Formats: sequence, C-alpha cells, structure tokens
Amino acid sequence: MGALAEILFGGLFQGSLYAMMAVGLALVWTTIGVFNFSHGVFMMLGAYFAWQLVEVGLHPAAAFPLAVLATAGVGWLLQAAVVRPLIGRANLVLVVVITTLAAGSLIENGVLEIWGPRSKQLPPLVDGNTMIGSIGVSLHQIAIIVVTPLILGALWMFLTRTRLGLALRAVAQNEDASQLVGLNVTALYGLAFAIAAGLACLAGIFMGGYRFMSPVMGADPLLKALIVVVFGGISSISGPIFAAYLIGFFEAACSYYFGLYWTPALLFAVLILTLMVRPEGIFSSRGRGLA
Amino acid sequence: MMDPIKRNVRAPGRTPWQREAAGFMLGFAVLALLPFVFADSYSRHILIMAFIYAIVASNWDLSLGYGGVFNFGHLALFGIGVYAYALLTKLAGLDPWLALVASGVVATLAAVIVTIPILRLKGIYIILVTFGFAQLVMQVIISQSELTGGTQGIVRIPGLYLFDHNMVRDAKIGYFGIALGLLAASTIFLRMLVRSRTGASIVALRDNEEYAISRGVSLVRQRLITLAASAFFTGIAGAFYAAYQRNASIDVFGMSLATIVLSMVLLGGTGTIYGAIIASFVLTFFGEAMADFGAWRPMITAVLIIVVMLVYPSGLVGMIQAAWAGLTGRLKRPA
Amino acid sequence: MTPILTVEGITAGYGRVTVLNDMSLEAGRHGNVGFFGPNGHGKTTLLRVVSGLLRPKAGRIVFDGEDITGKSARAIVGAGLIHVPQGNRIFPDLTIADCMSLGAYSARARPHEAENREKVVALFPKIAERWRQRVRTLSGGERQMVSIGTALMSHPRLLILDEPTLGLAPRIKDELCASVLDISKGGVPLIVVEQDIEFLLELCRQLYLINHGTVATEIKPGESIAHAEIMSMYFGQHQDH
Repeated sequence: MGALAEILFGGLFQGSLYAMMAVGLALVWTTIGVFNFSHGVFMMLGAYFAWQLVEVGLHPAAAFPLAVLATAGVGWLLQAAVVRPLIGRANLVLVVVITTLAAGSLIENGVLEIWGPRSKQLPPLVDGNTMIGSIGVSLHQIAIIVVTPLILGALWMFLTRTRLGLALRAVAQNEDASQLVGLNVTALYGLAFAIAAGLACLAGIFMGGYRFMSPVMGADPLLKALIVVVFGGISSISGPIFAAYLIGFFEAACSYYFGLYWTPALLFAVLILTLMVRPEGIFSSRGRGLA
Repeated sequence: MMDPIKRNVRAPGRTPWQREAAGFMLGFAVLALLPFVFADSYSRHILIMAFIYAIVASNWDLSLGYGGVFNFGHLALFGIGVYAYALLTKLAGLDPWLALVASGVVATLAAVIVTIPILRLKGIYIILVTFGFAQLVMQVIISQSELTGGTQGIVRIPGLYLFDHNMVRDAKIGYFGIALGLLAASTIFLRMLVRSRTGASIVALRDNEEYAISRGVSLVRQRLITLAASAFFTGIAGAFYAAYQRNASIDVFGMSLATIVLSMVLLGGTGTIYGAIIASFVLTFFGEAMADFGAWRPMITAVLIIVVMLVYPSGLVGMIQAAWAGLTGRLKRPA
Repeated sequence: MTPILTVEGITAGYGRVTVLNDMSLEAGRHGNVGFFGPNGHGKTTLLRVVSGLLRPKAGRIVFDGEDITGKSARAIVGAGLIHVPQGNRIFPDLTIADCMSLGAYSARARPHEAENREKVVALFPKIAERWRQRVRTLSGGERQMVSIGTALMSHPRLLILDEPTLGLAPRIKDELCASVLDISKGGVPLIVVEQDIEFLLELCRQLYLINHGTVATEIKPGESIAHAEIMSMYFGQHQDH
C-alpha cells in the first residue's frame, strides 16, 4: 500500500511539472513548426523574475503573476528576434534550434551576471507539511498537483472555446488560409511563444519552491519536456499532457523498484523502443494541430 | 562510344578534383607551417583544439549538411570515442594507437545502433531521438561509475607515442602533427565520399526522398552509410582528445559543447565540409581572442551566432561569397 | 462604372524566378471576370499578389479606389477582398462551425456574422448537416463548399475563386457551379480562375487569357467568342514552343 501511494504521489507531482513544460514546447511546435531550445531558459528566467519580485518585498500572490507576465514578454521578444525573421528559410527547424540555443545561452549567462551563481529559493505556494498514509509530503507539492490540471484546463478552454484560441489552432494547421481569413499570423506566433514562456515560468516557480535555483536549472526540465513530447507526439497538446503524467508514473515506479541511477537509462530505452514502434508518438494522430 | 558533349560537361559549381586537390595541399601546407610561426606550447594547444573541433564539425556536416539527418547525438559519438579510448587503454591495456582506431570503430558501431530507431523518422523526431540517445549514453556512463568514474571522470589516461619522440617536453609539436594528420585524413575521406556516387545519392535522398527511393536509392543503406561514415573520424577525434588531455569527463556530453560545434557547422554553411573546418578555426580563435572578456565571452559568442544566422542564411561561406561578390563588383565598376 | 480592381504593371515571382511580367488588367467594370490559360503561367501567382500573400517586385494594385499594393493579407481581408485559394485543404482539423467563425474574424465581418451564416446555410445545405464535423472527414466537394462558405463569412466586397471545381466529380461540379452563380446573383462581384470554359462563359462577361505571366488576350463583353476559338488560343500558344 505504501509503495502504491508513493508511486502515485511521485508520479502526479513529477507529471505535473513535466506537463507544464511540455505543453509550451508543443504549443510552439504546433503553431510555428519550430522547436524552442530556450524553453528551459524561460523556466529558469521566470523563477529568477519571481525571486527578484519577492526580494523587493512583493507578496508572492502578486510577484508570481507578474513574473509570469514578464517571462511571457521575454518569450514574445525572443520570438520576434530569433524566430520570426527566419520564417520561410529552407532549413528553418535546424536554424531555429541553433538561434534559440544561442539566445538561451545569452540569457543564461546574463542571469549569471545579474544574479550571481549563489543558489536561491522561492517561497512555496503553500507552507507546511502533511502526511498521506505513511509518507510525509509538503503542501507545496500538493498545491502543484492541484493547480497544474486547473491551469492546463484553462489553456484547453482558451484553445477550444475562444475565438483567439481558435485562431491559434488555425495557424497551426494552415498558414496561408489563416492569412486569407485575416488572421495576424505574426502576432499569433508571438502569442504562442508568450503563452509557452508564461507556462515555463510557472514551472520554474513550482520548482524554485522546493529546490535551489541556479542559472542551469532549466536544462534538465527541457530535456524531460523533449522526451515527453516525443513520447506523446508533438502534433497535439493533449498527447504531451497524457505522456507527461505517464512518464511521471513510470519514473516514480522505476526509482522505487530499480533506484534513481537506472531510471533515466530505462526511460530512454523505453523511449527509443516506443519510437521504433510508433515513430510519431503514442498519443498522436497524423498531421499537425493543437488540442 | 563516348558522347562528345557529355565528356566536357561537369556539374555546375563543382570544382574539378585537380583544382580541389591543389587547394587542399596548399591549405594543409600552410597549416603545417604554423608551428614554426607559433613556437610556444599555448598557441599550439589552441591549434590542436581547433583541429579537433574541425574534425568533429566537418564530420557532423556530412550527416547534417549532406545527409539532411539532424543527428543531435553527434557529440555523443565523440564522447564514445573519448571513453572507448580511455577504457581500452587503461582497463584493457591496449596499445594507444590500436585503441585510437578501435575507438573510431566503436563510435561507428554506436552510430549504426542509433540509426536503427531513426530509419523511419523525419526531421524533428530525429533531433529528439538522437538527442535522447546522447543523454542515454551519458546516463549509462554516469551510472556505471565503477568502470567510468561516473561524474568524476577518468584521469591519467595513457597518451599517444611517436617512435621514441618525447611527447611531453616537445612544446606539443608531436600532438600537433598527429592532429593535423587526422584532420587531413578525415577531410580527404569526407571530400572523397561526398564527391562520389554514394555522396550524390545521399544528397538526392535529402533533397527529394520519394523520388530518390523511386529511382532505386535505398534509404536504409544510405542513412546507415551516412551516419556510420560521419562517426568514424568523430570517434577517433574523441580518442585523440582523451589521449591529448590525458583525462575523460562527461562534460563532452553537455549542451554547451554541442552548441559550439553545431554553430561551427551552421556558421560554416552546411554541405561544404570546408565551411565547417574554416568556421571551427574562426570560432576557436575568436573564443581565444575574447578570453579577456571573461563572463561576457559566451554572451558575445551567442550574439555573433545569432547575427550571422539572421544575416547570412548560408553561413560564413555565404558571407565570404557575398564579400567577394561585393569586392569584385566594386573593382569592375570604375572601369 | 469604375473597376473594382485594377492591376497595373505587376511584376512578381519567387526568389530569382519571375512569374508575372508587367501584367496589367482591370476587373469589375462589366461584372464578373474570368481568368483562364495553361497551368503554371501565373494565374495563381497573380491572385496571391492581389490578396497580399506575395509582395510584388513592381507595379500597383488598386482595390475600390484604394492602393493596396504591399499591404498585409489581413489589411486586404479587412478591406473586403476575399480570396479562396486553390485546393481545398483549408483547416483539416477544425470543424465546419470553427471555419465559419474564423471567416468572420475580421472587424468588418463580425457584425454580419449571423446574417452571413444564414446565407451560407441556405446556399450549402449539405455542409449545414455536418456542422460539427472536422473538415478532413468531408468529401472534396464539401470541403470546397466550406472554403467558399468561410470566404462568404468574411463579408466580401469582391470574391476571388481559384479553380473552385478542380478535381470534382461532374455532378458535384454542376452543383457547385450553380451555387457560384447564386453568389453572383446575390450581388457579390467575382473573379474566377477556371479551366472549364463553358462555366466561365456562363458566369462572366469579361475574360482574360493569361499566358507567360502576362495577359495574352482580353475578351471584352459583347465580343462573342466560341469555345472552339478559345481552344485554338490554347493550342496557338502551345505551337509557339
């Protein structure tokens, strides 16, 4: 019973973080058709923004949303600087990988210059600890497990129930036709990046609340998000969400039974096997489209 | 009977091999003379590092630029070379030169293994799987710490030898010579491959997969050849790096090294081999020139990469061509 | 009557390839206009330039007295010039209902959304039955109806159709031609690219033969022209090669 509870809780918790990161990657991929390798840096930058705002005396309830907005703004700017000018290039995917990597390295080193290498920590969403059965958990972790589905649900509603969300889904499917119904394609590209960056910032706030922050804290979550989207298929955003939780549970179970050392290797082995059987991910359909 | 027209026809923009060979000899002759200009071991160290980067980047250009296969595990092949050499010499006690070649073979085998899951994949999925492969290799090396030293790495790896030449107190001339020799061998191998019929079919597959397959080009075989060929000298470069540095660490799997080498490939302009080599030299020396900037160095490098990518889609080669066109245009105009 | 669309000396192409070469024409002085001519000679490129998808290298485009050269596709849609592109892929994973709301995305079309939706439903009762179905599940003819319906939702002042009957079965094609005629009777001026000359002759009083990226022949209203003559124009052009 204890094992099950531990795996369940660990899986939900990790899955929430992965989903938060992966959805942003998938959103940018589906709308623009590029992979944003500075996504992990958005997460780190968002956590630092939040830390700075709390540091100047803002209540977290004000600081966190402001940090999300600021990171979303950076996402928009980054898109305008290193993605939009390249649209239409023959090797767009590859060139954007390198420009977003370079932009990420620029931000990472900038953060190191501004905030220094010393580890920092954010206040948790909710203070305190509790027991679930026999295992002790922090309320911060429980808050993450509860808040993440709400935010992802809100994103889902936005994409499927609003005209702006509809426009984003349309751009993902056919750019020419989107222009011909009068959509502002460049603004929608910016919006996709901004939303993705905002979600990454939230993930950063979640992580900064229970682990020390550092300028390289985004590297590992980016990697995990990449695995999640490969696993779930990048042609939708619901696929990566399911995959995020699935991988969360897989990791929790692996580290329970085989230990932490072997978990990443097992995960990659399963990933590569999955792709040999289903090259486009386990939850994907053909074609590219949001929702 | 030979078609009289066909005999004189050559592919547009393709340099005749005699001219390329002459340029190649000249270029490498200049490189071989460099240690006489730079006699101190630090300058020679920079040159050796530039040669290693050049081998890794130009081999990456084979899979990325010619093959259109976005192999983001290329640096893992280099890392495999590093660790294969370290383990073969230190644990198995193999002769360093044998281990060097064996490391190239091990990297080639690894490339064949990673090719299998990506045979059916395209574009971004290849990036993700090969990226995952690189991480897998790194995780395995970390977790097998009894053999590999885990995150601590391996130290005191046996170096290479040249007859009874003293490799330690020679101001690095020995390693310079070996590095230059490896770069020359790798470049000749790559250029001969891309100029061959096999090279043409690799490019055909990249440019129009359906058509190439319908004309009898085998996707499976060609992808295997592309990746395996790009791995051999990359693995040897890794082994050489391990022998030269005398240690191995998992840093070679990190994103920062991959970013730098990838920018060498892209800055050089893909699908040229020489572009990647030139860009490796430029970026290595540029990085050295900026050593005084300290923490600003990676930021300046990042901005430089972005600017070149935005302004010159075809990289430094395109930049040189544009500059050349501008220059000749200016020279012609006053007449 | 002033022309609703004037194209003056347009030169355009892709990269170093020039497709349109100093092309001039005007449309709307005498009702609907038809373009025809061999494939790959610039009809679709012309439409892409007119609707702002492709920036011309030279020339001027005037829509209803306003210079729209170099304006964004969004601004041109906002002015009421609506282009239904060739092929019927539009938004494969959106429902018909989604497509219709997207059609009414521009500020100009928003107030007329309900009224236009009724028009579309009346015109294409077939797609009204499948309102919540994804476009990719529809037949070719139905998808073309969704394309045209989406364009009508944009409240067009000029509607451009690029080969609306391409690849359709004869019965579906007749149905669609009838609908296009209905749209025209409803007062929306049309520019239509078609390979089916009979249909063009029925719909339009003014025709342009487009060849080698320029206007080869203009057939003005009142000039009677037989099918055979048009065919000989095609062949005449081909014999030049």
